[in-house]
Amino acid sequence: MSFIDEVYRVALSDLYYLRRNILPLLATSLITPLLYLVAFGYGLGNGVVMEGVSYIAFVIPGVVSLTTLSSSFTTISNKLMVQKRFYESFDEMMLCPISKSSIIFGKTILGIIKGMMCGSILLALGFLMTDDLHITVGLVACMLLSCVVFSLLGVAAGMIVSDLPRMNLFNSFVILPMTFLCGTMFSLNALPEVVKVIIDLLPLTQTSACIRASALGWEFPWLHMVLLVAYGALFYLLALWSLRKSN
Amino acid sequence: MSEDIIVAKGITVRYGDFTAVDDLSVNVRKGEIYGFLGPNGAGKTTTAKVLATMMTPTAGTIVIGGHDTSRNPREARQLVGVVQQHIAVDKDISVRENIIVRAMLHKVPRRLIEERMAELCEIIGLTPYMDKTVQQLSGGWKRKLAIVCALIHDPEILFLDEPTAGLDTQSRHMLWDMVRVLNRRGTTVFITTHYMDEAESLCDRVSIITHGRLTDTGTPKELCDRLGRFTVEYDGEDGRRQYRFFDSREEAKTFFDTVEEMNGLIRGTHLEDVFLEETGRTNVKALEKALRI
Ligand SMILES: Nc1ncnc2c1ncn2[C@@H]1O[C@H](COP(=O)(O)OP(=O)(O)O)[C@@H](O)[C@H]1O
Ligand SMILES: [Mg+2]
Repeated sequence: MSFIDEVYRVALSDLYYLRRNILPLLATSLITPLLYLVAFGYGLGNGVVMEGVSYIAFVIPGVVSLTTLSSSFTTISNKLMVQKRFYESFDEMMLCPISKSSIIFGKTILGIIKGMMCGSILLALGFLMTDDLHITVGLVACMLLSCVVFSLLGVAAGMIVSDLPRMNLFNSFVILPMTFLCGTMFSLNALPEVVKVIIDLLPLTQTSACIRASALGWEFPWLHMVLLVAYGALFYLLALWSLRKSN
Repeated sequence: MSEDIIVAKGITVRYGDFTAVDDLSVNVRKGEIYGFLGPNGAGKTTTAKVLATMMTPTAGTIVIGGHDTSRNPREARQLVGVVQQHIAVDKDISVRENIIVRAMLHKVPRRLIEERMAELCEIIGLTPYMDKTVQQLSGGWKRKLAIVCALIHDPEILFLDEPTAGLDTQSRHMLWDMVRVLNRRGTTVFITTHYMDEAESLCDRVSIITHGRLTDTGTPKELCDRLGRFTVEYDGEDGRRQYRFFDSREEAKTFFDTVEEMNGLIRGTHLEDVFLEETGRTNVKALEKALRI
Protein backbone atom coordinates (compact mmCIF):
# COMPACT_ATOMS: atom_id res chain seq x y z
CA MET A 1 0.00 0.00 0.00
CA SER A 2 2.75 2.42 0.94
CA PHE A 3 4.52 1.38 -2.28
CA ILE A 4 1.54 2.48 -4.38
CA ASP A 5 1.32 5.68 -2.35
CA GLU A 6 4.99 6.46 -3.01
CA VAL A 7 4.66 5.64 -6.71
CA TYR A 8 1.80 8.14 -6.91
CA ARG A 9 3.88 10.80 -5.17
CA VAL A 10 6.72 10.31 -7.63
CA ALA A 11 4.35 10.29 -10.61
CA LEU A 12 2.51 13.44 -9.55
CA SER A 13 4.67 15.93 -11.47
CA ASP A 14 4.30 13.86 -14.65
CA LEU A 15 0.54 13.66 -14.09
CA TYR A 16 0.34 17.44 -13.87
CA TYR A 17 2.43 17.61 -17.04
CA LEU A 18 0.12 15.16 -18.79
CA ARG A 19 -2.96 17.11 -17.76
CA ARG A 20 -1.52 20.30 -19.24
CA ASN A 21 -0.31 18.77 -22.49
CA ILE A 22 -2.57 15.83 -23.16
CA LEU A 23 -3.63 16.76 -26.70
CA PRO A 24 -0.22 17.56 -28.18
CA LEU A 25 1.28 14.52 -26.45
CA LEU A 26 -1.36 12.17 -27.83
CA ALA A 27 -1.24 13.73 -31.29
CA THR A 28 2.55 13.32 -31.56
CA SER A 29 2.40 9.72 -30.38
CA LEU A 30 -0.50 8.81 -32.66
CA ILE A 31 0.54 10.32 -35.94
CA THR A 32 3.17 7.70 -36.89
CA PRO A 33 1.06 4.63 -36.06
CA LEU A 34 -1.91 6.18 -37.90
CA LEU A 35 0.26 6.65 -40.98
CA TYR A 36 1.35 3.01 -40.70
CA LEU A 37 -2.27 1.92 -40.47
CA VAL A 38 -3.24 3.90 -43.55
CA ALA A 39 -0.15 3.01 -45.59
CA PHE A 40 0.11 -0.67 -44.72
CA GLY A 41 -3.48 -1.42 -43.86
CA TYR A 42 -5.37 0.35 -46.62
CA GLY A 43 -2.42 0.72 -48.97
CA LEU A 44 -1.75 -2.99 -49.25
CA GLY A 45 -5.49 -3.56 -49.29
CA ASN A 46 -7.63 -6.42 -48.16
CA GLY A 47 -6.38 -8.81 -50.84
CA VAL A 48 -3.19 -9.77 -49.00
CA VAL A 49 -3.47 -12.62 -46.53
CA MET A 50 -0.87 -13.09 -43.79
CA GLU A 51 -0.79 -16.13 -41.46
CA GLY A 52 -4.37 -16.90 -42.36
CA VAL A 53 -5.99 -13.49 -41.75
CA SER A 54 -6.45 -10.36 -43.85
CA TYR A 55 -3.39 -8.14 -43.78
CA ILE A 56 -5.23 -5.32 -42.07
CA ALA A 57 -6.25 -7.63 -39.21
CA PHE A 58 -2.65 -8.83 -39.03
CA VAL A 59 -1.08 -5.39 -38.99
CA ILE A 60 -3.34 -3.62 -36.46
CA PRO A 61 -2.09 -5.61 -33.41
CA GLY A 62 1.44 -5.05 -34.73
CA VAL A 63 0.93 -1.30 -34.90
CA VAL A 64 -0.60 -1.35 -31.42
CA SER A 65 2.49 -3.23 -30.18
CA LEU A 66 5.00 -0.82 -31.69
CA THR A 67 2.97 2.08 -30.30
CA THR A 68 3.27 0.71 -26.77
CA LEU A 69 7.01 0.74 -27.35
CA SER A 70 7.41 4.12 -29.02
CA SER A 71 4.99 6.16 -26.94
CA SER A 72 6.04 4.67 -23.60
CA PHE A 73 9.73 4.63 -24.23
CA THR A 74 10.48 7.92 -25.96
CA THR A 75 8.66 10.28 -23.60
CA ILE A 76 10.16 8.76 -20.51
CA SER A 77 13.73 8.34 -21.66
CA ASN A 78 14.00 11.88 -23.01
CA LYS A 79 12.24 13.55 -20.09
CA LEU A 80 14.33 11.66 -17.56
CA MET A 81 17.63 12.29 -19.28
CA VAL A 82 16.90 16.00 -19.40
CA GLN A 83 15.81 16.05 -15.74
CA LYS A 84 18.92 14.22 -14.69
CA ARG A 85 21.46 15.97 -16.90
CA PHE A 86 20.28 19.53 -17.02
CA TYR A 87 18.17 20.08 -13.93
CA GLU A 88 19.75 17.64 -11.51
CA SER A 89 16.27 17.27 -10.04
CA PHE A 90 17.00 13.61 -9.49
CA ASP A 91 19.56 14.51 -6.85
CA GLU A 92 16.88 16.34 -4.94
CA MET A 93 14.48 13.44 -5.19
CA MET A 94 17.16 11.37 -3.48
CA LEU A 95 16.79 13.64 -0.44
CA CYS A 96 13.14 12.64 -0.07
CA PRO A 97 12.04 9.67 2.02
CA ILE A 98 11.07 7.59 -1.02
CA SER A 99 12.42 4.15 -1.91
CA LYS A 100 14.39 3.59 -5.11
CA SER A 101 11.87 1.14 -6.53
CA SER A 102 9.08 3.67 -5.96
CA ILE A 103 11.12 6.22 -7.90
CA ILE A 104 11.59 3.80 -10.79
CA PHE A 105 7.95 2.74 -10.99
CA GLY A 106 6.74 6.28 -10.34
CA LYS A 107 8.69 7.44 -13.37
CA THR A 108 7.05 4.74 -15.54
CA ILE A 109 3.51 5.97 -14.91
CA LEU A 110 3.53 8.70 -17.58
CA GLY A 111 4.70 6.18 -20.20
CA ILE A 112 2.14 3.58 -19.14
CA ILE A 113 -0.75 6.03 -19.33
CA LYS A 114 0.37 7.40 -22.67
CA GLY A 115 0.99 3.96 -24.12
CA MET A 116 -2.42 2.70 -22.93
CA MET A 117 -4.22 5.75 -24.32
CA CYS A 118 -2.59 5.52 -27.74
CA GLY A 119 -2.98 1.74 -27.86
CA SER A 120 -6.67 1.98 -27.00
CA ILE A 121 -7.37 4.63 -29.63
CA LEU A 122 -5.65 2.52 -32.28
CA LEU A 123 -7.52 -0.60 -31.21
CA ALA A 124 -10.81 1.27 -31.40
CA LEU A 125 -9.97 2.44 -34.94
CA GLY A 126 -8.87 -1.07 -35.88
CA PHE A 127 -12.13 -2.44 -34.55
CA LEU A 128 -13.93 -0.20 -37.08
CA MET A 129 -11.62 -1.24 -39.91
CA THR A 130 -11.99 -5.00 -39.68
CA ASP A 131 -14.27 -7.63 -38.11
CA ASP A 132 -11.48 -10.05 -37.20
CA LEU A 133 -10.33 -8.24 -34.03
CA HIS A 134 -11.51 -9.32 -30.58
CA ILE A 135 -11.10 -6.85 -27.79
CA THR A 136 -10.69 -8.94 -24.63
CA VAL A 137 -9.45 -8.57 -21.09
CA GLY A 138 -6.40 -10.63 -22.09
CA LEU A 139 -5.60 -8.15 -24.85
CA VAL A 140 -5.79 -5.17 -22.53
CA ALA A 141 -3.64 -7.00 -19.99
CA CYS A 142 -1.01 -7.73 -22.65
CA MET A 143 -0.99 -4.08 -23.70
CA LEU A 144 -0.57 -3.01 -20.10
CA LEU A 145 2.28 -5.45 -19.50
CA SER A 146 4.00 -4.25 -22.62
CA CYS A 147 3.64 -0.58 -21.61
CA VAL A 148 5.12 -1.38 -18.19
CA VAL A 149 8.08 -3.23 -19.70
CA PHE A 150 8.91 -0.52 -22.24
CA SER A 151 8.44 2.25 -19.69
CA LEU A 152 10.95 0.47 -17.47
CA LEU A 153 13.28 0.38 -20.47
CA GLY A 154 12.67 4.13 -20.83
CA VAL A 155 13.62 4.74 -17.19
CA ALA A 156 16.75 2.61 -17.52
CA ALA A 157 17.82 4.36 -20.73
CA GLY A 158 17.05 7.81 -19.31
CA MET A 159 19.22 7.03 -16.30
CA ILE A 160 22.11 5.44 -18.17
CA VAL A 161 22.39 7.39 -21.42
CA SER A 162 24.18 10.64 -20.74
CA ASP A 163 23.26 12.99 -23.59
CA LEU A 164 20.91 13.64 -26.49
CA PRO A 165 23.18 12.49 -29.36
CA ARG A 166 23.66 9.12 -27.66
CA MET A 167 19.96 8.85 -26.95
CA ASN A 168 19.25 9.49 -30.64
CA LEU A 169 21.80 6.83 -31.54
CA PHE A 170 20.00 4.35 -29.31
CA ASN A 171 16.68 5.36 -30.86
CA SER A 172 17.94 4.93 -34.42
CA PHE A 173 19.87 1.70 -33.95
CA VAL A 174 17.78 -0.14 -31.39
CA ILE A 175 14.28 1.25 -31.08
CA LEU A 176 13.49 2.06 -34.71
CA PRO A 177 14.74 -1.26 -36.18
CA MET A 178 12.75 -3.08 -33.51
CA THR A 179 9.55 -1.30 -34.49
CA PHE A 180 9.82 -2.59 -38.05
CA LEU A 181 11.37 -6.01 -37.58
CA CYS A 182 9.75 -7.60 -34.56
CA GLY A 183 6.79 -9.16 -36.35
CA THR A 184 4.86 -5.92 -36.21
CA MET A 185 4.43 -5.30 -39.96
CA PHE A 186 5.07 -8.72 -41.46
CA SER A 187 5.29 -12.36 -40.48
CA LEU A 188 8.64 -13.56 -39.20
CA ASN A 189 8.19 -16.91 -40.97
CA ALA A 190 9.58 -15.44 -44.18
CA LEU A 191 12.93 -14.51 -42.62
CA PRO A 192 16.21 -16.49 -42.90
CA GLU A 193 16.70 -18.78 -39.88
CA VAL A 194 19.66 -16.90 -38.31
CA VAL A 195 17.94 -13.52 -38.45
CA LYS A 196 14.75 -15.06 -37.15
CA VAL A 197 16.45 -16.43 -34.04
CA ILE A 198 17.85 -13.02 -33.16
CA ILE A 199 14.62 -11.18 -33.80
CA ASP A 200 12.68 -13.84 -31.93
CA LEU A 201 14.55 -12.87 -28.79
CA LEU A 202 13.91 -9.10 -28.95
CA PRO A 203 11.38 -7.72 -26.45
CA LEU A 204 9.03 -6.21 -29.03
CA THR A 205 8.68 -9.65 -30.67
CA GLN A 206 7.28 -10.97 -27.40
CA THR A 207 4.84 -8.07 -27.22
CA SER A 208 3.55 -8.39 -30.76
CA ALA A 209 3.17 -12.16 -30.44
CA CYS A 210 1.11 -11.78 -27.24
CA ILE A 211 -0.98 -8.86 -28.45
CA ARG A 212 -1.65 -10.40 -31.85
CA ALA A 213 -2.59 -13.79 -30.43
CA SER A 214 -5.05 -12.27 -27.99
CA ALA A 215 -6.51 -9.85 -30.55
CA LEU A 216 -7.05 -12.54 -33.21
CA GLY A 217 -8.08 -15.31 -30.82
CA TRP A 218 -5.05 -17.48 -31.59
CA GLU A 219 -3.56 -19.91 -29.10
CA PHE A 220 -1.82 -17.80 -26.45
CA PRO A 221 2.02 -17.86 -26.61
CA TRP A 222 2.85 -18.24 -22.92
CA LEU A 223 6.57 -18.55 -23.54
CA HIS A 224 6.62 -15.11 -25.15
CA MET A 225 4.81 -13.68 -22.17
CA VAL A 226 7.31 -15.21 -19.75
CA LEU A 227 10.14 -13.72 -21.81
CA LEU A 228 8.43 -10.33 -21.78
CA VAL A 229 8.16 -10.42 -17.99
CA ALA A 230 11.82 -11.42 -17.83
CA TYR A 231 12.71 -8.39 -19.96
CA GLY A 232 10.71 -6.22 -17.55
CA ALA A 233 12.70 -7.59 -14.63
CA LEU A 234 15.96 -7.00 -16.49
CA PHE A 235 15.07 -3.38 -17.30
CA TYR A 236 14.00 -2.78 -13.70
CA LEU A 237 17.32 -4.12 -12.41
CA LEU A 238 19.24 -1.96 -14.90
CA ALA A 239 17.37 1.13 -13.70
CA LEU A 240 17.99 0.19 -10.07
CA TRP A 241 21.67 -0.37 -10.74
CA SER A 242 22.14 3.01 -12.39
CA LEU A 243 20.16 4.76 -9.67
CA ARG A 244 22.38 3.18 -7.00
CA LYS A 245 25.50 4.05 -8.94
CA SER A 246 24.56 7.70 -9.44
CA ASN A 247 24.11 8.22 -5.70
CA MET B 1 23.50 29.64 21.87
CA SER B 2 26.24 28.33 19.63
CA GLU B 3 25.15 24.72 19.32
CA ASP B 4 26.59 23.10 16.16
CA ILE B 5 23.95 21.84 13.75
CA ILE B 6 26.47 20.49 11.24
CA VAL B 7 29.75 18.95 12.31
CA ALA B 8 31.84 17.68 9.41
CA LYS B 9 35.28 16.19 9.89
CA GLY B 10 37.96 15.24 7.39
CA ILE B 11 35.76 15.48 4.30
CA THR B 12 37.61 14.34 1.19
CA VAL B 13 36.12 13.94 -2.28
CA ARG B 14 38.07 12.48 -5.18
CA TYR B 15 36.93 12.31 -8.79
CA GLY B 16 39.25 9.66 -10.16
CA ASP B 17 42.69 10.81 -9.05
CA PHE B 18 41.66 14.47 -8.85
CA THR B 19 41.04 15.64 -5.29
CA ALA B 20 38.19 18.18 -5.37
CA VAL B 21 37.81 18.48 -1.59
CA ASP B 22 40.79 17.80 0.63
CA ASP B 23 40.46 16.85 4.31
CA LEU B 24 38.03 19.63 5.11
CA SER B 25 36.35 20.18 8.47
CA VAL B 26 33.41 22.54 8.99
CA ASN B 27 31.11 23.41 11.87
CA VAL B 28 27.89 25.26 11.22
CA ARG B 29 26.16 26.76 14.23
CA LYS B 30 22.42 26.58 14.73
CA GLY B 31 20.73 29.76 13.60
CA GLU B 32 23.62 31.36 11.75
CA ILE B 33 24.13 32.32 8.12
CA TYR B 34 27.32 30.59 7.12
CA GLY B 35 29.10 31.66 3.96
CA PHE B 36 31.32 29.37 1.95
CA LEU B 37 33.53 31.49 -0.29
CA GLY B 38 35.80 30.42 -3.09
CA PRO B 39 36.67 31.06 -6.72
CA ASN B 40 35.14 28.90 -9.46
CA GLY B 41 36.27 25.30 -9.23
CA ALA B 42 37.35 25.62 -5.61
CA GLY B 43 35.05 22.83 -4.48
CA LYS B 44 32.09 24.80 -3.08
CA THR B 45 29.36 22.85 -4.86
CA THR B 46 30.99 19.53 -4.07
CA THR B 47 31.27 20.40 -0.38
CA ALA B 48 27.69 21.68 -0.24
CA LYS B 49 26.41 18.48 -1.86
CA VAL B 50 28.33 16.35 0.59
CA LEU B 51 27.12 18.32 3.64
CA ALA B 52 23.56 18.19 2.32
CA THR B 53 23.83 14.37 2.02
CA MET B 54 23.33 14.41 -1.74
CA MET B 55 26.72 12.88 -2.30
CA THR B 56 28.81 10.38 -0.34
CA PRO B 57 32.36 11.64 0.29
CA THR B 58 35.41 9.49 -0.36
CA ALA B 59 36.32 9.97 3.30
CA GLY B 60 35.08 11.89 6.33
CA THR B 61 32.11 12.00 8.69
CA ILE B 62 29.15 14.36 8.82
CA VAL B 63 26.77 14.77 11.72
CA ILE B 64 23.63 16.80 11.12
CA GLY B 65 21.49 17.68 14.11
CA GLY B 66 23.07 14.77 16.00
CA HIS B 67 22.48 12.24 13.20
CA ASP B 68 25.48 10.63 11.54
CA THR B 69 24.71 10.79 7.82
CA SER B 70 26.17 7.39 7.05
CA ARG B 71 24.23 5.67 9.82
CA ASN B 72 20.95 7.63 9.89
CA PRO B 73 20.70 9.22 6.45
CA ARG B 74 16.90 9.56 6.58
CA GLU B 75 16.85 11.47 9.86
CA ALA B 76 19.72 13.69 8.72
CA ARG B 77 18.09 14.37 5.35
CA GLN B 78 14.84 15.42 6.96
CA LEU B 79 16.68 18.42 8.41
CA VAL B 80 18.06 19.60 5.09
CA GLY B 81 16.64 21.72 2.27
CA VAL B 82 18.68 22.35 -0.87
CA VAL B 83 18.66 24.89 -3.67
CA GLN B 84 21.23 23.77 -6.20
CA GLN B 85 23.32 25.95 -8.46
CA HIS B 86 21.39 24.63 -11.45
CA ILE B 87 17.86 25.11 -10.21
CA ALA B 88 15.97 21.85 -10.12
CA VAL B 89 12.34 22.81 -10.59
CA ASP B 90 10.10 21.21 -13.19
CA LYS B 91 9.68 23.79 -15.94
CA ASP B 92 6.70 22.09 -17.56
CA ILE B 93 4.30 22.59 -14.66
CA SER B 94 3.07 25.56 -12.62
CA VAL B 95 4.57 27.18 -9.55
CA ARG B 96 1.83 25.76 -7.31
CA GLU B 97 2.19 22.29 -8.82
CA ASN B 98 5.95 22.32 -8.28
CA ILE B 99 5.48 23.12 -4.62
CA ILE B 100 2.80 20.47 -4.10
CA VAL B 101 4.94 17.87 -5.87
CA ARG B 102 7.88 18.58 -3.60
CA ALA B 103 5.69 18.53 -0.49
CA MET B 104 4.22 15.19 -1.53
CA LEU B 105 7.68 13.74 -2.14
CA HIS B 106 8.65 14.78 1.37
CA LYS B 107 5.40 13.29 2.72
CA VAL B 108 4.30 16.56 4.27
CA PRO B 109 0.83 15.91 5.76
CA ARG B 110 -1.76 17.11 3.24
CA ARG B 111 -3.51 19.47 5.63
CA LEU B 112 -0.19 21.27 6.20
CA ILE B 113 0.74 21.69 2.54
CA GLU B 114 -1.68 24.51 1.69
CA GLU B 115 -0.94 26.33 4.91
CA ARG B 116 2.85 26.21 4.54
CA MET B 117 2.73 26.99 0.83
CA ALA B 118 0.65 30.10 1.51
CA GLU B 119 2.96 31.24 4.31
CA LEU B 120 6.23 30.71 2.43
CA CYS B 121 4.94 32.23 -0.81
CA GLU B 122 3.77 35.27 1.11
CA ILE B 123 7.21 35.75 2.69
CA ILE B 124 8.99 35.24 -0.59
CA GLY B 125 6.50 37.16 -2.69
CA LEU B 126 5.54 34.33 -5.02
CA THR B 127 1.82 34.56 -4.32
CA PRO B 128 0.89 36.44 -7.54
CA TYR B 129 2.71 33.89 -9.68
CA MET B 130 1.20 30.68 -8.34
CA ASP B 131 -0.54 29.62 -11.54
CA LYS B 132 2.16 30.59 -14.01
CA THR B 133 4.22 27.79 -15.49
CA VAL B 134 7.86 27.88 -14.53
CA GLN B 135 8.85 28.60 -18.14
CA GLN B 136 7.14 31.97 -17.81
CA LEU B 137 9.26 33.02 -14.81
CA SER B 138 12.56 34.91 -14.96
CA GLY B 139 15.73 33.62 -13.30
CA GLY B 140 15.24 35.35 -9.95
CA TRP B 141 11.69 34.05 -9.57
CA LYS B 142 12.72 30.54 -10.51
CA ARG B 143 15.25 30.66 -7.72
CA LYS B 144 12.64 31.88 -5.28
CA LEU B 145 10.41 29.00 -6.29
CA ALA B 146 13.31 26.63 -5.73
CA ILE B 147 13.71 28.13 -2.25
CA VAL B 148 10.04 27.62 -1.39
CA CYS B 149 10.32 24.04 -2.66
CA ALA B 150 13.41 23.48 -0.52
CA LEU B 151 11.63 24.79 2.58
CA ILE B 152 8.27 23.06 2.20
CA HIS B 153 9.20 20.16 4.50
CA ASP B 154 10.30 22.67 7.14
CA PRO B 155 14.01 21.80 7.28
CA GLU B 156 16.33 23.31 9.87
CA ILE B 157 19.12 24.11 7.42
CA LEU B 158 18.81 25.66 4.01
CA PHE B 159 21.66 25.13 1.54
CA LEU B 160 21.94 27.79 -1.16
CA ASP B 161 24.55 27.13 -3.84
CA GLU B 162 25.49 30.42 -5.53
CA PRO B 163 21.92 31.70 -5.28
CA THR B 164 22.57 35.08 -6.89
CA ALA B 165 24.83 34.07 -9.79
CA GLY B 166 23.44 35.67 -12.93
CA LEU B 167 20.75 37.74 -11.19
CA ASP B 168 20.29 41.48 -11.68
CA THR B 169 20.96 43.88 -8.82
CA GLN B 170 17.31 44.22 -7.74
CA SER B 171 16.83 40.46 -7.62
CA ARG B 172 20.06 40.03 -5.69
CA HIS B 173 18.99 42.45 -2.99
CA MET B 174 15.50 40.95 -2.81
CA LEU B 175 17.05 37.53 -2.38
CA TRP B 176 19.34 38.71 0.39
CA ASP B 177 16.41 40.23 2.24
CA MET B 178 14.52 37.02 1.88
CA VAL B 179 17.40 35.01 3.28
CA ARG B 180 17.51 37.39 6.25
CA VAL B 181 13.77 37.00 6.87
CA LEU B 182 14.01 33.20 6.70
CA ASN B 183 16.98 33.28 9.03
CA ARG B 184 15.02 35.42 11.51
CA ARG B 185 12.33 32.74 11.49
CA GLY B 186 14.97 30.29 12.71
CA THR B 187 16.38 28.64 9.59
CA THR B 188 20.13 28.05 9.57
CA VAL B 189 21.56 29.02 6.17
CA PHE B 190 24.61 27.60 4.41
CA ILE B 191 25.36 29.73 1.38
CA THR B 192 28.13 29.43 -1.20
CA THR B 193 29.19 32.41 -3.23
CA HIS B 194 32.08 34.10 -4.94
CA TYR B 195 30.61 37.57 -4.41
CA MET B 196 32.27 39.23 -1.44
CA ASP B 197 29.63 41.92 -0.97
CA GLU B 198 27.11 39.12 -0.60
CA ALA B 199 29.14 37.39 2.08
CA GLU B 200 29.92 40.63 3.88
CA SER B 201 26.37 41.87 4.09
CA LEU B 202 24.68 38.54 4.74
CA CYS B 203 26.90 36.11 6.61
CA ASP B 204 27.56 35.77 10.33
CA ARG B 205 30.61 33.63 9.64
CA VAL B 206 32.48 32.71 6.50
CA SER B 207 35.06 30.19 5.34
CA ILE B 208 37.35 30.65 2.39
CA ILE B 209 38.13 27.62 0.26
CA THR B 210 40.68 27.24 -2.54
CA HIS B 211 41.62 24.06 -4.36
CA GLY B 212 39.49 22.01 -2.01
CA ARG B 213 41.18 23.28 1.17
CA LEU B 214 39.89 25.66 3.83
CA THR B 215 42.24 28.58 4.29
CA ASP B 216 40.36 30.66 6.85
CA THR B 217 37.20 30.76 8.97
CA GLY B 218 35.65 33.49 11.07
CA THR B 219 33.31 36.46 11.05
CA PRO B 220 33.96 38.78 8.09
CA LYS B 221 35.33 41.31 10.58
CA GLU B 222 37.69 38.79 12.19
CA LEU B 223 39.06 37.85 8.80
CA CYS B 224 39.66 41.49 7.89
CA ASP B 225 41.25 42.22 11.27
CA ARG B 226 43.54 39.24 10.92
CA LEU B 227 44.84 40.58 7.64
CA GLY B 228 45.06 44.16 8.98
CA ARG B 229 42.24 46.59 9.64
CA PHE B 230 43.64 49.23 7.33
CA THR B 231 44.56 48.95 3.69
CA VAL B 232 46.80 51.23 1.70
CA GLU B 233 46.67 50.79 -2.04
CA TYR B 234 48.81 52.54 -4.68
CA ASP B 235 50.11 52.14 -8.22
CA GLY B 236 53.29 50.05 -8.31
CA GLU B 237 56.34 50.66 -10.51
CA ASP B 238 54.99 48.26 -13.16
CA GLY B 239 51.57 49.96 -13.17
CA ARG B 240 49.80 47.22 -11.20
CA ARG B 241 47.84 48.15 -8.13
CA GLN B 242 49.69 47.24 -4.90
CA TYR B 243 48.09 46.55 -1.51
CA ARG B 244 49.57 46.71 1.99
CA PHE B 245 47.73 45.89 5.21
CA PHE B 246 48.22 47.44 8.67
CA ASP B 247 46.87 46.78 12.14
CA SER B 248 46.72 50.42 13.20
CA ARG B 249 45.77 53.66 11.57
CA GLU B 250 49.13 55.21 12.53
CA GLU B 251 51.19 52.54 10.75
CA ALA B 252 48.95 52.82 7.74
CA LYS B 253 49.23 56.61 7.72
CA THR B 254 53.01 56.51 7.96
CA PHE B 255 53.23 54.18 4.98
CA PHE B 256 50.57 56.12 3.08
CA ASP B 257 52.67 59.29 3.27
CA THR B 258 55.39 57.51 1.27
CA VAL B 259 53.08 56.44 -1.55
CA GLU B 260 50.63 59.33 -1.68
CA GLU B 261 51.99 60.57 -5.01
CA MET B 262 51.56 57.13 -6.53
CA ASN B 263 47.77 57.43 -6.59
CA GLY B 264 47.74 56.31 -2.97
CA LEU B 265 44.59 55.59 -1.00
CA ILE B 266 43.96 54.65 2.61
CA ARG B 267 40.82 52.76 3.61
CA GLY B 268 39.36 50.05 5.83
CA THR B 269 40.07 46.44 4.78
CA HIS B 270 37.25 44.60 2.96
CA LEU B 271 36.49 40.91 2.80
CA GLU B 272 37.41 41.14 -0.87
CA ASP B 273 40.99 41.97 0.12
CA VAL B 274 41.13 38.91 2.37
CA PHE B 275 39.67 36.76 -0.37
CA LEU B 276 42.13 37.98 -2.99
CA GLU B 277 45.09 37.66 -0.66
CA GLU B 278 44.20 34.10 0.31
CA THR B 279 42.95 32.70 -2.97
CA GLY B 280 45.51 34.66 -4.96
CA ARG B 281 48.41 33.47 -2.84
CA THR B 282 47.29 29.88 -3.02
CA ASN B 283 46.86 30.15 -6.77
CA VAL B 284 50.45 31.31 -7.15
CA LYS B 285 51.54 28.37 -5.01
CA ALA B 286 49.59 25.96 -7.13
CA LEU B 287 51.07 27.48 -10.24
CA GLU B 288 54.56 27.20 -8.82
CA LYS B 289 53.90 23.61 -7.92
CA ALA B 290 52.60 22.84 -11.38
CA LEU B 291 55.58 24.51 -13.03
CA ARG B 292 57.98 23.04 -10.45
CA ILE B 293 59.58 26.43 -9.83
N1 LIG C 1 31.54 14.99 -11.56
C1 LIG C 1 32.79 15.48 -11.60
N2 LIG C 1 33.80 14.78 -12.17
C2 LIG C 1 35.05 15.25 -12.20
N3 LIG C 1 35.43 16.43 -11.69
C3 LIG C 1 34.48 17.20 -11.12
C4 LIG C 1 33.11 16.77 -11.04
N4 LIG C 1 32.41 17.74 -10.42
C5 LIG C 1 33.29 18.71 -10.11
N5 LIG C 1 34.53 18.39 -10.53
C6 LIG C 1 35.75 19.21 -10.35
O1 LIG C 1 35.91 19.45 -8.98
C7 LIG C 1 36.34 20.77 -8.75
C8 LIG C 1 35.39 21.46 -7.80
O2 LIG C 1 34.14 21.62 -8.42
P1 LIG C 1 32.93 22.38 -7.73
O3 LIG C 1 32.70 21.79 -6.40
O4 LIG C 1 31.81 22.37 -8.68
O5 LIG C 1 33.53 23.85 -7.60
P2 LIG C 1 32.78 25.23 -7.34
O6 LIG C 1 31.35 24.96 -7.01
O7 LIG C 1 33.54 25.87 -6.23
O8 LIG C 1 32.92 26.03 -8.61
C9 LIG C 1 36.42 21.45 -10.11
O9 LIG C 1 37.76 21.48 -10.51
C10 LIG C 1 35.61 20.56 -11.01
O10 LIG C 1 36.14 20.57 -12.31
MG1 LIG D 1 29.64 25.58 -7.89
